[in-house]
Amino acid sequence: MQKKIIYLKDTDSTQQDRVNDFYTLFSNELRDTNLIEQASVVRIADMGLYEKGVAVKILPENIVYTGLKNTDVKKIIEETIKGNKVIKESLYEKKSKQMRAVLKNCGYIDPESLEDYLAAGGYKALAKVLLEMKPEQVVEELKKSGLRGRGGAGYPTWMKWNFARGMNSPEKYVICNGDEGDPGAYMDRSVLEGDPHSVLEGMIIAGYTIGSSKGYFYIRAEYPLAVERVQKAIDQAVEAGLLGNNILGSNYSFELEIRLGAGAFVCGEETALIASIEGKRGTPHPRPPYPSVKGLWEKPTIINNVETLANIPQLIFGGGAKFASIGTEKSKGTKVFALTGKVKNSGLVEVPMGITIREIIFDIGGGILNNRSIKAVQTGGPSGGVIPQEFLDTPVDYENLGKLGSIMGSGGMIAIDETDCLVDLAKFYLKFCVDESCGKCAPCRLGGYQLLHLLEKISEGKGEMEDLDKLKKISYAMQKASLCGLGQSASNPVFSTIRYFEEEYKKHIIEKKCPAGKCKALIYFKILPPKCKKCGLCFKNCPSAAILGSREAGYVIDPIKCVKCGLCFDVCKFKAVTKE
Amino acid sequence: MKKITKEDIEKIDPLKKDLGKSWIKVGMSTCGVAAGADEVYATLIEEAKKRNIEIDIRKCGCQGACSVEPLVEVNVEGLPKVLYGRVNKDVAITILERHVRNKKLLHDYIFEIN
Ligand SMILES: Cc1cc2nc3c(=O)[nH]c(=O)nc-3n(C[C@H](O)[C@H](O)[C@H](O)COP(=O)(O)O)c2cc1C
Ligand code: SF4
Ligand code: SF4
Ligand code: FES
Repeated sequence: MQKKIIYLKDTDSTQQDRVNDFYTLFSNELRDTNLIEQASVVRIADMGLYEKGVAVKILPENIVYTGLKNTDVKKIIEETIKGNKVIKESLYEKKSKQMRAVLKNCGYIDPESLEDYLAAGGYKALAKVLLEMKPEQVVEELKKSGLRGRGGAGYPTWMKWNFARGMNSPEKYVICNGDEGDPGAYMDRSVLEGDPHSVLEGMIIAGYTIGSSKGYFYIRAEYPLAVERVQKAIDQAVEAGLLGNNILGSNYSFELEIRLGAGAFVCGEETALIASIEGKRGTPHPRPPYPSVKGLWEKPTIINNVETLANIPQLIFGGGAKFASIGTEKSKGTKVFALTGKVKNSGLVEVPMGITIREIIFDIGGGILNNRSIKAVQTGGPSGGVIPQEFLDTPVDYENLGKLGSIMGSGGMIAIDETDCLVDLAKFYLKFCVDESCGKCAPCRLGGYQLLHLLEKISEGKGEMEDLDKLKKISYAMQKASLCGLGQSASNPVFSTIRYFEEEYKKHIIEKKCPAGKCKALIYFKILPPKCKKCGLCFKNCPSAAILGSREAGYVIDPIKCVKCGLCFDVCKFKAVTKE
Repeated sequence: MKKITKEDIEKIDPLKKDLGKSWIKVGMSTCGVAAGADEVYATLIEEAKKRNIEIDIRKCGCQGACSVEPLVEVNVEGLPKVLYGRVNKDVAITILERHVRNKKLLHDYIFEIN
C-alpha cells in the first residue's frame, strides 16, 4: 500500500497557531499505533483554505478534514489511516466558488505555444464559424448568450456587432481595447500574457461577423510582455494560416496589427483610442456618431475589451445557450476581478456573475488581513464607487452594482478596512482623474480640480459644512456635462463615499478628526506617561528629532516638529504612544 | 510550419498540452517576472541540464495566486501535483534535487497540493 501523507495546517488566523500541538498529537498517535511506516505528518505553508480551523489533507486519497479538535486525531488515525474510511462529520467538501472560463488556459498552457492552445481546444470555434456559420448566426448566438462588454459599460456585444455588420462599407475595422488604465487593474494584461491566442481567435471571429478584413490590438506601452506575447501569437497564426488570406481554406481573409497606447487613461475611451490609432491626439469626441457607424478612418468599427473578446471562442464553441446558463437575469457568464487591498489572498479571480461580494472577499480572498473588520469594497476603479459592508451580500452584476452607486467597471475590486479613510480614498481617485483629464472640456477640467481642492481642504481639517453641498453639486454637474466617460464618472467615488460615509466626512469637518487615522493633518501622536517605560525606542527612531526627553525624565512629542510618520507608534512595545 | 486545416484542429490530441508525466511550469506573467520568475526559469533550465535531470520545463501565465509569486508548479510521477510559492533561485535548485530527483516535497513552500 502506498504511504499516506497527512498535510497539516491551522487555517485560522485569530488564534495561536495550533499546528505544533497537532503535529505532536499526530506523531505520537502514529507511533503509538505502529503506523509510522504507513503514514507521515507534514506541516505545510498553505492549503488554500481559510478560517476553517485546523485542517488536514490526506494524500493520495485527497481527503480534507477541517475544524479539527484534539480528540479527532485518534479517530483520523484509527478510521482513515488504518481503516481507510472517510469520517463524514469532519469532511470538507470543496466547492470552488471560482469558475474559470476566460482564464481556463491562463497558468495551464504555454502562452508562447500555438500547439498548446490548439491542444486545449483552441481555434475550434473559429473553424466552426468560418466553415459552418453565417455572420447572422454568430450574432444570433451572441444574442442568446447575453454577453455584455467587459470594458466597463456593459453594452450588449451582439448589438454592437450587429450594427457594424449591417453597415454597408467596403472597409470595416475590429479593435481590441487593451489599454487597461485603471490603477490596480491587471485582468486584461494577464489574459494577453497568459492566453493571447484566445483574444486573437475572438478578434478573427469578430472580423468575420462584421465583414472586416483588418483588426488592431491597442495595448498600452507599459505592457511590454503582453505586446511581445501577442506579437508572437500573431506571427504564429500568420504562419499557420489562421491569419492572412483564405483562413482555413475559407474565402475569409483577415490581418492583425498591434498599436501601442501612450499610457494615458483617457486613451482607453473608445473615441480617444480611435483618434490615437489614427495618429491624432488621444482626445475624446462627442458620440454619436458611434464607432460602429463611423469609427476608425471614419469607417464602421467595433471596439471591444480584451476580456469580452476572450469570451468569444468558448461562447461559440459551447453555444450561446450554454453561456447564458451562467449568471443572473441580465448579466451572463463570468467576470474576472483583480482582488486587492486589505484582503489576505490578493490575486486574479474569475467568478460567475451573481456571486456575492462577501463570497469573493471571504471565501476566495480568505478575508481581511490582520483580522480587522471590513468597512467597504471599492469596485470600478476611478469611475466606480464604494459598497459598504452592509451590502456585501449583494449578488454581483451590472444592475446591482449600478444601483448601489458603483459600477462593475473593468474588474478592479479593493477591500477596504477600518484603517482606510474614505475621504482619503475619494481624494486618491479624484487626483488620478484630474491628472488624467485631457482638458478638452470644462466640466471635467475645472470641476475635477475644484472637487480635489475641496477634498484636500477637508482632509486638512479646514473643511466647512457647506463644502459637502458643494461637493455634491459639482459632482452632479460633472456627471451631466462632461464630454466623455472620464469626466462623467470621475466624481463617482466622491458621490458614493458621501452617500454611505457622510458621518466620516462630518467627523473630518466638525470634529477635525480622521477616524481611520489616515489624514495626517488630523492626527496627533502623544506619549502616555503612565504607560511609558522610558525605553527610549521612540526617541531613537524618530526621523525628525521631534521626541524630547531622556531615559530618566521620560519622553514627550513636540507637535510642531512631528512629521506624523507614525514610527514611534509602531515601535513602542508598551503601547505608550497613542494616535488620535 | 505548414498551414493548418480544419482537420488538423479537430484531430489534435488534447492530451498534448498535458505535457507527459513529469513537468515543471513557471508562472511568467509580468507579476511573476517582476518577482523574479525569469531568474527561476533560467535557473531551472540551466541547473537541470547541469545535474542531468530530465524534466519538461515550461512557461505559463497567471495562476491567480499573485501574492505569492514566483509560482512554480511541479508534477512528478508518483507524487502529488504541487504549487510552490515564493520560489527563488535556491528554492528552484532544491526543487530539482529534492522534489524531482529524490521525490520528496519542500513543505515550507507548498501553497497548493493536489
Ligand atoms: C476614461 C475611460 C477609460 C476607459 N478605459 C478602458 C480600458 O482601459 N479598457 C477597455 O476595454 N475599455 C475602456 N473604456 C471603455 C471603452 O470606451 C469601451 O466602452 C470599451 O472598450 C468597449 O468594449 P466592451 O463593449 O467590450 O466593453 C474606457 C472608457 C473611459 C470613459
Ligand atoms: S470629460 Fe475630461 S477627459 Fe473627457 S473630454 Fe472632457 S476633459 Fe477630456
Ligand atoms: S510620528 Fe514620527 S515624527 Fe512624530 S514623533 Fe513619532 S516618530 Fe517622530
Ligand atoms: S499575474 Fe502572476 S499569478 Fe497572477
